[in-house]
Order: sequence, then structure tokens, then C-alpha cells
Amino acid sequence: MIVFENVEYVYPNGFKALNGINLEIESGEIIALMGENGAGKTTLLKHLNGLLKPTSGRVLIDGVDTRNSTVASLSRKVGIVFQNAEDMFFSPTISEELAFALNNFNFPEEVVKKRVEWALKFMELEEYRDKSPFLLSGGEKKRLALAIILAWSPDIIALDEPTVGQDILQKEKMIQIIKQANQQGKTIIISSHDVEFIADLNPRIILMSRGRIVKDGSAEEVLTDIQLLHECRLIPPQIVSLTSRLDFLGFKPKLARPEEVAVEIARRLR
Amino acid sequence: MTILETSNLWFKYSGGSEWALREVNLEVSEGEFIILAGRSGCGKSTLLRCFNGLIPHFYDGEMIGYVKVCGLDTREHPPYVLSQYAGMVFQNPDNQLFALTVEADVAFALENLSIPRDEIRERVDWALKIMGIEELRDKSPLELSGGQKQKVAIASILALRPKILLLDEPTSSLDPYSAKQLIDTIVELNQKYRITILIAEHRLDMLLPYASRLIIIDNGRIVLDGNPREILEKNDVVSYGVSTPRVVKVATQLKKVLGDSSNLGTPLSVEELVEIVRRRRYQ
Amino acid sequence: MSTILRGLQFYPGKTIIHKLDPRVKLVISLLLMATAMMYIEVTIITIIVVTEAVLAIIAKVFSRWARTVYGAAPLIIFVFIANFLFKLSMPGQSINLQSIYEALQLAYRLVAFLASFSIFFLTTTPEELGMALTKMKVPYMYTFAFISAIRFTPILAEELQSIVDAQKSRGLELEKGNIISRLRRYIPILVPLMVNVLRRSYELAEAIEVKCFGAKKNRTYLRELKMKLKDWTALSISVTLFILAVYIRYFSKIVIP
Repeated sequence: MIVFENVEYVYPNGFKALNGINLEIESGEIIALMGENGAGKTTLLKHLNGLLKPTSGRVLIDGVDTRNSTVASLSRKVGIVFQNAEDMFFSPTISEELAFALNNFNFPEEVVKKRVEWALKFMELEEYRDKSPFLLSGGEKKRLALAIILAWSPDIIALDEPTVGQDILQKEKMIQIIKQANQQGKTIIISSHDVEFIADLNPRIILMSRGRIVKDGSAEEVLTDIQLLHECRLIPPQIVSLTSRLDFLGFKPKLARPEEVAVEIARRLR
Repeated sequence: MTILETSNLWFKYSGGSEWALREVNLEVSEGEFIILAGRSGCGKSTLLRCFNGLIPHFYDGEMIGYVKVCGLDTREHPPYVLSQYAGMVFQNPDNQLFALTVEADVAFALENLSIPRDEIRERVDWALKIMGIEELRDKSPLELSGGQKQKVAIASILALRPKILLLDEPTSSLDPYSAKQLIDTIVELNQKYRITILIAEHRLDMLLPYASRLIIIDNGRIVLDGNPREILEKNDVVSYGVSTPRVVKVATQLKKVLGDSSNLGTPLSVEELVEIVRRRRYQ
Repeated sequence: MSTILRGLQFYPGKTIIHKLDPRVKLVISLLLMATAMMYIEVTIITIIVVTEAVLAIIAKVFSRWARTVYGAAPLIIFVFIANFLFKLSMPGQSINLQSIYEALQLAYRLVAFLASFSIFFLTTTPEELGMALTKMKVPYMYTFAFISAIRFTPILAEELQSIVDAQKSRGLELEKGNIISRLRRYIPILVPLMVNVLRRSYELAEAIEVKCFGAKKNRTYLRELKMKLKDWTALSISVTLFILAVYIRYFSKIVIP
């Protein structure tokens, strides 16, 4: 379980990126942190494994105050996939890239081998095991970045803007992987401003603006609050815009699959 | 009037084993607004780089066929000449701004071309104005948001007064609101200033309503080329890595439910679909 | 170190000092330094430092300027100790007040040097500096390299931070182990940084090509420095004072206390 208690974070240059954050995340949840660039999403993620420590207030990861722990030990519990995660590759081969963190965490050698094999298979990267990570395509690099984190099986997986620059096929794959990891009991925290992607995932949404949480609720609740989304400089999903403007047919803003909406429109037109 | 044409264009990067472009035949008329779509790595970026001479002058490789920009064969003219006809804006705004103030960045290319000072001043003012960023003139790029930086990058290319603007995923690092603002500005460049636009983008839902033409590329080949409505009406483009906007999906399904005689057309935006439904409701 | 660097960073301002032509400011800085080179006497150096302090006050950068000088304290102390030890190592020298005093004088002179540099950088934009270089007939390539360095240093610093964050999140502990294993621990930072720089320079090269870099031999410039009356005045006053200083040192019999 993750607890933020009145967390405030001020960068050395004086910019207050987090302002009075109170938050509880149960294990096994899928959470989306939403908000425009600069709202504080990434700063919040960096508090999960102690890369940043609160200026005031505290962050508890399974009861452990992050201020009393190291990034290395917190990272065993919380794996963060950063936005340009492919920027962290440095090993000659993909297998070694996968083994790096496992060795840092002092896993026994045979466990390292097993985990690397598992991660290669899970992310469909087996045929590339001895290739250089730099030779992978964009989508494959993203998958490797995720495989690296999954390899040590942290309880909590945080993804920072996983869909930036990704095409629809890659996004669909991402949703599949996230759901799969969640089914294995992982807590998933995604920071994103990709409303359509988040709408498809249908998680609990924490909406942020200027370092504060302005709303915390189900995807349906948050994404249909058009006024609030605008205030947070987000654009509502198309289905929500559509249903909100079909008030003359008795529609209320809602999240639904396009097919359902079409059937509903047809029914009301008759 | 044809402003850009390619004839049987093939290109392979040196060291590459596969053709990045295959048999591309394309004719673009002045004033068009064209979206290039397709999965990551399909060849959209490569194709854009053929239109301003980066291919074959900057990138080594094997090129077959030819590209003509405003009548100039790209094989015979260097990028700095072609850029005055077809200007290119890239994905990452940070890597396109070289100066320490916005004004200096917009003037940069003109200074390189030895254009007289008075004319530089005039063109810089014009470019800042049509991008709506006059108040940023004296700012440092470090003080700008991502969206503002990208506007400066576009202004710095517009100062060259190109007839064609090539944009390679210009909104990919922006949040949706900034992306929408940028796209609105690009649309205005097309509608008000008649600049021909070729844009590679994943955000089709924001762009489609304005596009005169959609070109889908797969594995280096143009697989679909035409009016966006017709293409989306008749094809399932998801397999090419192109996301169909949700409204199009709703409309397609609605047609199925209501029957082909429903005469709904293919709406590309929420507004269009609402209008169609409204008309049917009050017929 | 970072304090010194911050002391060399431009802060926007509208004072008379800020508005002076950067070339004039550069000349004044150099003249102040040259004066400090000619004299070792504590009185004169004090006059120079006080002059610099006054200039800093006029430019409204006094506290930043003072902080820079203060931040340079370790360097100044180092120079003092090094000088002192050097003097000791000479044959026939022993620890006495004279040698301490001489080493102190040298260190004090360094203060005058740094203070002069600091005012220049605190009141001159890198862009103006670039324009000054151009006016001084430095080939544009070098000016461009200088401006790019300033433009991209903060971006690279950010990039470095995100790489460090990513690798720490993979359990990398930079502080652990002996010096050799520590150096090895930097590989996961350095390799991605290099790859990043390479990729970025490729993208920059492409963008610069599109912006017609190097198209014409003679570049034009939108903005150019022009000496105004106040620049000539400031220049002539400082040159006169410098000539006076030279005269006093080498041609007059005035004894400096």
C-alpha cells in the first residue's frame, strides 16, 4: 500500500511541484495520474522509490517511510519505467541489459538466469537476446524498458507517459501488458495525458493540476467532468464530448465503447 | 497547380537491408492539407525528408526515381535552396532552436542566407505575428513551454517563406491541449495563408476534420491515398497502425444499425456527427 | 564550484552597466585585471576591489557578485597555501611573516581578478557576448559553437539527471564500494549519455541543414553592436585611468604605501 501524507515538494530552484498531496493506493489497483505537462505527475512518481524525498509530509511504501530508506531498496518494491526509458540502455546485449538490475539487487545467479529468460519470453524479445539493445526498433525498445522492470517483479509498477510517440498498435499492446501484469497482482500507476488511452484502460483516475490533486475517482466520474477537464487543460475523450452534445436525445456525458453509443443513438432516434 | 511530385521513388539508407520507400508516386497541388499516417517506422519520416533534399544530400543511400519541389529536382539542389520552398519542422523542438532568444532563432536561417537586415526584420516580424508569438520575442528558449517552443520552431521555418510546410510528428511531445493549439495554428497557416501542409501525425482525431487528403503508408509503400472520408468509410486502417477516431467508429456502427439507406455520410469530428444526428432527429 | 558558476551566469537587468556595449565592459574588466597585475600593493588592490564593488552596486548585482567572490574562497585559499609552500621550498627560506604576507598579497590579487570577471559575466548576456565575438572578427563557427554550448548545457544537465534517475531506479548505487568499482559504476551513466549526445547532435545537424547553415560565406546579422556615446565615454574614462595607473607605476616616483 502507498500512502502520501500531506506531501509537499519544492525543487532547489524554488518551484513548488507538489502541494499538499494526500493519497492512498491499495495494492492491486490500476491508477492513472492525469494532468497537463508540469502538473506534477512525474514529480509524484519519483517519490514512489525515493528518487525525490518530500520537502514536508511523508510517503509510506508498505509502511516504510521513504526518507528512512534508499532508492535501491525501495526500487525492489517499486519499478519505474521513465518516459525515455530507452535512454538508459548501455549493455552490449539485451540479456545483459535485463540482468543488470537483478545483479544490483543481489539475486542469486540461477535466479537471474531464470528471470531474464522469463522477461525475454513475456515481452516477445527472445530472438534478440544476444543483440545490442540499440538495434531494436522504437516499439521493441519500449518493450525492453518494461521487461527490465518486470524482470525483478516489483509489487508496484509505475509508467511515466508510456504512450508518447506510440502508434495505435503499440498502444493496444501496452494496454494488454498492463492488464496482464495487473492480473498477476501488480499495482500499476500510470502518468499520462492520453485521454483515449486511459479511457480504454478504465482505471481509477487521480487528476492533478499545478501540484495539487483536484479530483480522485473512477474513470467514468473524472473523464465525464468536462468543465474540470478543461480547467486542467485536458481534452475530454471523443465519446464524452459526443454524448455531452447529444443532450437533445436525452444523453448524459458518459464513457462507453463506440459500438454501444451507436446502438444507443439508433434506439433513441427511432 | 502541382507543387510537389515524386516519380517511382525508392530509397534505401546506406547500411540498411530493406527499402525504406518503395515505388512512391505522388502529386501534391498547392494549398492541400495532407496527413501522412502509418505505424511507427513505416516510412513517413523518410518520405518527408525526400521533399526538402535531406535525402539524398544529408542521408547517404540508394535513391531511385526523382522528387521535384516547385519544379526543382531535389538531386540537383542542396537542402538550403529546397528549404526555401519546402520547410521542415521536426519532432523535438529543443533540437531545432539554436539561439538564445526567440527573435534570434527566427532570424537564424535568414542570416545564414545573407539576407539584408531590413528584410530579415520584416520577415521575422511577419513570422512571429502569424504564429501569434510576438510577445515571446525576447524570451530565452529555456523559458518556453513545449508548445511555445514548437511554435517558435515553425516560425523560424516560416521566415524562409516556404510554399510547403513539412511537419514530422510536431505534437508528439506535447500534452493534448498544447497539441490542439498547435494544430489550430497549422490549420490557419493552410486556410489563411495558403501554405501547403504535409504532416506526419498519430493524433488523427484532431487533424482529420481539416485534411484535404490522407495518405497511409505501410512498409515504405503508399497503400491508401485520397479523401479522408472515403478512406475511413471503406477501409479498416487499424491494421496499418492508424487509429480511427471514435466518432468515425460510432458513425460506422450507426450506419450498420440504421441500414445503408441512412445516408449519414462520414463525419470526422464530434460536431459533424452531432449535426447529422440532429438533422435526422428533427427531420 | 557551483557558486562560482552561478556568479558567472547572466541575470537580466536594465542598469547602465547592463546597457554598456559588451566590448567596452570586456575592455574595462581586462584593464582592471591588468592594473591588478601591475600592482601587488594591498592599498591599490583594495582600490581596485572597491571600484569593482561600486560597479556591482550600480549594476544591482552586488549580493550575487559578493557571493561569487565568497564562493571562490577555497580557490583563493588554495592559491595562498600553494604560494606559501612554493616560497618555503626555495633555498634559504624559512617561515616568517614576510613570506606569509607575500602569499596573502597574491591571493588578494586573485580576488580582484575574479571579481572583475564576475561583474562582466553577471551583466552581459551570452548573446551579447556572441555579438561581441562577431564584431571582433571571430569566425562565426566559433561564435556558434559558443552559443550552442550555452544553449545546450542546461538541456544536457537535465538529460544527465534523468539517466541517473533511471539507473538508480534499476538499483545502481553510485556511492558504494572502492574507487575502482565506483568508476565502473559510472559506465551505466556515461554510455547512455554519450549515445544521447550523439543522437542529439545528429538531429541538430539535420535541423541546422534545413536552416541553411553555412549556405553563404558572408552571413548577415539581424542585430549588431553599435558603440554609442555612453560607451565611448566609459571607454575613454577607463583608458585614461589605466594610463594614469601605468604612469604612476613605471614613470613616476610616487611611493605606494
